[in-house]
Amino acid sequence: MISDKVETRQLITLGADGVLVRGTYHEVPGEAQDGSHPRSKNIGVVFLNPLSTPRTLIGDSGVDWASSFAAQGYPSVRFDLPGLGDSYGEVAKDLVTFINEAGFAAIAASKVREFTQTFGLPGAVIYGHCAGAVTAVYAAAKCKECKGLIITDPYFNAANMLTPKLSPGMVDWARRSKVGEVLRAVYVRIREARKKQGNGTLPGNANVSLVTHWKKLVSSGLPILVFKSGEPAALGSGKLRAGSFDYLEHIASFGGHRSQLSIKTIEGTNHSFADRVGRAAIREHAEAWLNKHFPTAQTAAVLANLGFSTPMTDANIATRAPAPVSRGE
Amino acid sequence: MNASLYAGGHAYNIFAERPGFFPVSGADLYTVLHEVKDPVARVLLVGPFTLERHTSYRAWVQWARYLAARRIEVLRYDYRGVGESTGIFEDMTFESWIDDVERLAGWLRKRGEDVPLLLHGLEMGGLLAAKTFHHGGSDALLLWSAPGDANEVLRSTLQRWMGPMQLLKREEERRPASHYFRLLEEGRSVEVQGYEWSAELWRQSLSVDLPAAMVPPNDPTKFYKKPVRMVKLGKNATPLVKGGVPGFEENKDFSFLFDPNYDWIVSSLGVPAERS
Repeated sequence: MISDKVETRQLITLGADGVLVRGTYHEVPGEAQDGSHPRSKNIGVVFLNPLSTPRTLIGDSGVDWASSFAAQGYPSVRFDLPGLGDSYGEVAKDLVTFINEAGFAAIAASKVREFTQTFGLPGAVIYGHCAGAVTAVYAAAKCKECKGLIITDPYFNAANMLTPKLSPGMVDWARRSKVGEVLRAVYVRIREARKKQGNGTLPGNANVSLVTHWKKLVSSGLPILVFKSGEPAALGSGKLRAGSFDYLEHIASFGGHRSQLSIKTIEGTNHSFADRVGRAAIREHAEAWLNKHFPTAQTAAVLANLGFSTPMTDANIATRAPAPVSRGE
Repeated sequence: MNASLYAGGHAYNIFAERPGFFPVSGADLYTVLHEVKDPVARVLLVGPFTLERHTSYRAWVQWARYLAARRIEVLRYDYRGVGESTGIFEDMTFESWIDDVERLAGWLRKRGEDVPLLLHGLEMGGLLAAKTFHHGGSDALLLWSAPGDANEVLRSTLQRWMGPMQLLKREEERRPASHYFRLLEEGRSVEVQGYEWSAELWRQSLSVDLPAAMVPPNDPTKFYKKPVRMVKLGKNATPLVKGGVPGFEENKDFSFLFDPNYDWIVSSLGVPAERS
């Protein structure tokens, strides 16, 4: 009565490396796994948890995007990292710091590899939101199977900036309340503005290792699509905003001629991108980007007939893999 | 990979977790069965609503594993139209959600050995579990922070959601929560963190309430002649209740909550307790 498959979704477990993670695979429609149709030779998309949010992502937006990408020819998987969602495991006491220090990078890279091998895919694009973006960047540097990144609202700073200065009660209030959320953002910007010394010097609270990994990936030519949500109107658009350090601009400046970094700001949505505006924008732009960098066989055939060369094919895909970056660099 | 993370020395077999899709009319419910060999009881976990599903997920799964490690078989699931379950959220009704609980409870009861079945609901899930229990769907009922009616949950969820949303808007575009309540009352739908709330859902929520026998000062145990326990969770139970801080509470020790509730389950059902 209970099945592990419904429509184009299949519940899967990845555990070849001894660590079981639970996930949901979205197959390309029409590509049955009974052998009657060949499995997709297109690149896949792997979704990571943002912080501790389950693999559906906020508002179940991940389910929509994965279904949509699969319908466009890109088989997708959403899995829960160990200890999160349905996957078993311990979770670090300070999960944010754990993620910021690449705590999930090795297992995420291993699971991307296992996913591509299990489904016979030439590679995968990793999709990471917020803290998931941090893991995606670290993981991309560790696995040659990662052929690109889709990143939404990344952050670049280290955690726990308020903790040393304020009483535990104040910290708790600032973390829990919405007014505190704005105050935190204002505080961060003032701090960053003070510490900014010009000439691209990183702010004092930057996650230097993470920024270094970003720079290496960008300069390696890895296709990267970044979505940013609009700034909260409550923060205004004056001095505070001008005072914040633009990490993406800083990283892009190191990209060189091979850089394939694209940045899009989506106005009218929020940090989760789970509302109508955010969902539609991500779907539209990400699918266009996937088609540009990783055209499906059908798209490639159409382009070839029209006399265009494809930017990336199975044949040249391996040459664009980023050089491995060791942790802690 | 037998581990005892949640078990205080009790063995737990992660290979006995069986995710799947449970077909119901018009949808497939995502379920995870925490299968137990020779169970002493079975529990259907009916979780919280939309936003709280995401924030409470890990703690809710921990509770399922805690029980399974003590020979209580557990089935947990996602509401239709939410999470991994199929269905379009804006088409959902409380009637279909209650019907799903009844079907899952019926399936779980018939799984094997004749052992007691407990329904355990959290927040909105408390109402759905209470309705099913009221109609004779289980041998016992445990409620954590069940509201008086479903509209309470919708209001508090929307209020909690609107706060940060106001910050994204220009002053002239900001509206109080009452504005959105009015839209729903006028028959319009409102999007709340990616979920399209229909006016019909709002209308129905006003009439989905706790059975009178469960409203104080009535004594539900006396009325139903079955064990019923209703617990109002405090702020120390975040993120099982609203107000958690993602990133800082995933590793929380819930033994202060799990242990006494487990003790109540085994004592009220009259089944042997598993001691480590």
